[in-house]
Amino acid sequence: MDILSELDALGVNTKEAIERLNNNSAFYIRMLGKFTAELENHPVMPYLESGDKESAVAHAHTLKGLTGNLSVTPLYKAYTEIVALLRADELEKARQLMADTLPIQSEIVACISKYNN
Amino acid sequence: MDKTILIVDDSETNRLILAEDFKEDYSIIEADGGRQAIEIINSGRQISAVFLDLMMPVVGGLDVLDEMNKSGMISRIPVFIVTAADTDSMLTKAYDLGAVDVIRKPFMRSFMKARVDNIIELYRHRENLEAVIDEKVKQIRRMNESMVTSLANIIEFRDGESGEHVKRISGLTNIILADIVANYPEYYLTEEAIEKITSASILHDVGKIAIPDSILNKPGRLTAEEFETMKLHTVKGCEILVNMTDFLDAKTYEYSYDICRHHHERWDGRGYPDGLKGDEISIWSQVVAIADVYDALISPRVYKAPYEHSTAVKMIYNGECGTFNPKVLESFNRTIGKQEEK
Repeated sequence: MDILSELDALGVNTKEAIERLNNNSAFYIRMLGKFTAELENHPVMPYLESGDKESAVAHAHTLKGLTGNLSVTPLYKAYTEIVALLRADELEKARQLMADTLPIQSEIVACISKYNN
Repeated sequence: MDKTILIVDDSETNRLILAEDFKEDYSIIEADGGRQAIEIINSGRQISAVFLDLMMPVVGGLDVLDEMNKSGMISRIPVFIVTAADTDSMLTKAYDLGAVDVIRKPFMRSFMKARVDNIIELYRHRENLEAVIDEKVKQIRRMNESMVTSLANIIEFRDGESGEHVKRISGLTNIILADIVANYPEYYLTEEAIEKITSASILHDVGKIAIPDSILNKPGRLTAEEFETMKLHTVKGCEILVNMTDFLDAKTYEYSYDICRHHHERWDGRGYPDGLKGDEISIWSQVVAIADVYDALISPRVYKAPYEHSTAVKMIYNGECGTFNPKVLESFNRTIGKQEEK
């Protein structure tokens, strides 16, 4: 297994992303490394728990754009939904979805980290 | 590579992905927030386009657009909003603030590059055109100015002068007007007005071209009848100016016409051709009148030697050359009157 097929197995659409990036798979893998680092700068859960909706939306929105660009589809769908829920003032549903998403997010991060190191 | 794109996004990954598509054709500058973006835009650096994320902490994309509106940069640099497609109300605001187009996340390379290239090219083209037109307008203005000055000079040569009188009158007019602006705000004179009055003043005697040589250059005092003919140079000047509207912008024409007709009017109503009194006479015609009298006194004439500066100032101040507006007289005294004897 290589990184791309492992990510595909986790639901990431690597083919689509690589096409978007001018068919440059090395660049894509480098960007995935950057992405895992940036995930740490955009924590959403703590804000959901403290009820800081504005900050939660801001970070979730950034991650939505980022995961969309890299076709990390499961996370892209989750963050799109979380942003929508927060805009509809459904804080509890957003928190629940975030909690459900964290395990798959961790799996994807672990996979990327394994190959980037 | 002389084209530069500024990418503003708080996510480094997003900046890198965008940069990847454009780095071949453009220099790339990155900003990780609105504040840094504003600094770069205002630094005077040549920027061909800005890619702007809207949702950023502290200083967001809309703030950057606001700032670009204030500085006027928005009309010179195309701004593309980079956004995940769920912020329609913000997008509307961004368009209202002058953004040209939207790049949606996830990015669609094929369209994005072509659209950005096209718009940058359009802006460059427009800027070039504006520069060409600016240069042409300046050229036309220079040509008009030199035509007007040449005309004024031709008249003076007939008068036996060398063109210096015209230059002195506009210089004196300018100096006195500056004092009037500083001390008498009631006349509402702007910088632009002063500039136009100064250049209009050189045409004050254009009507002399219609006065016969025998009178214009008579080496002695004029008879009453000759003086009546001489006085006609004011109205004749206006007749000539009517045919010069193509050389002069509307405001300069208005000043020239008024100065031509009224630079021999006097504050007490004893001037010509209309016998206007007090503030019926425009402030600019009053100023040219006093400048003209002063210059006539200190210049040699076929019938008289030049007066000393101090004598000329005294004669004007004592009312020996007609009555002037006390305010204009004070301004004259503060500026020209205080000058040292040359």
